[in-house]
Amino acid sequence: MSGHDHPHEGPGRTASPYALRIRAIESLLVEKGVLTEAEIQDQIEYMDSRSPANGARLVARAWVDPEFRRRLLADTKAAALELGIDASGPVEFVVVENTPEVHNLIVCTLCSCYPRAILGRPPDWYKSFEYRSRAVREPRAVMREFGHEPPEGVRVAVHDSTADVRYMVLPMRPEGTEGMSEEELAALVTRDSLIGVSVPRAPARAR
Amino acid sequence: MERPHDLGGEPAGPVDRREHEVEDWERLTDAITIALDRKGVKTTDEHRRAIESLPDYRELSYYERWAAATENLLVEKGLLSRKEIDARAEELSRAWGER
Repeated sequence: MSGHDHPHEGPGRTASPYALRIRAIESLLVEKGVLTEAEIQDQIEYMDSRSPANGARLVARAWVDPEFRRRLLADTKAAALELGIDASGPVEFVVVENTPEVHNLIVCTLCSCYPRAILGRPPDWYKSFEYRSRAVREPRAVMREFGHEPPEGVRVAVHDSTADVRYMVLPMRPEGTEGMSEEELAALVTRDSLIGVSVPRAPARAR
Repeated sequence: MERPHDLGGEPAGPVDRREHEVEDWERLTDAITIALDRKGVKTTDEHRRAIESLPDYRELSYYERWAAATENLLVEKGLLSRKEIDARAEELSRAWGER
């Protein structure tokens, strides 16, 4: 199955020879009773239902509820379940908290490990050779490409994920958000801020 | 010997921040791979090892690596043979072509 020579790894490529092959594998696995059609469909729906909105809800709750924040940092899966987000399974989750002293960034240098059970499938760039190579050596340069750079003097901590341990960033609550509702706060939390390449949106100016 | 997946700290160019909509076959590849884990047919670590052993690692797209690795593991474990996958792919291709 090798030997095709068109350029790869860029987004938007279609008509891969593997598209046909995985359909063939699906058909055989179902025929032999290794997997059922329902199990495959359930898994597709499970992943489609995961999204960064889950992470945003966890962060917003942690911002308004110090006790929840404590639980989120101590036992992420249990805290997620409180909000109806089922991240059960063998994978461990660790939430790393940004502070005025430390900014956290997550990467998986070896592959693409990501808190999928909470945030869904990782973005293309997270899986790219460039991000995986550079995030551990020059995280500030990488963050600059995403339009963010922590102030000088802030330590940047890079967390290299593994198959067994997945990280998510708890960003700092933006200034000027006093009095905002949990829902309004969640709307400020971007996917990229949960990975640490960026920070949450600033609130719209007070009218 | 350094393997192709061991990229941490290597020099590299700018990060391409464009994203593509996940295609149906990619969602299927994702689902089959994870469903096989849940069934206990294989583990995440086995899948990683299979990905890291792909000779064309750098040429394949992300979900092509997943699909190729899952196929190799299924063959390795004796659950499917390369021959029957080839044959079924051929059948599907013909069926689709006739539509």
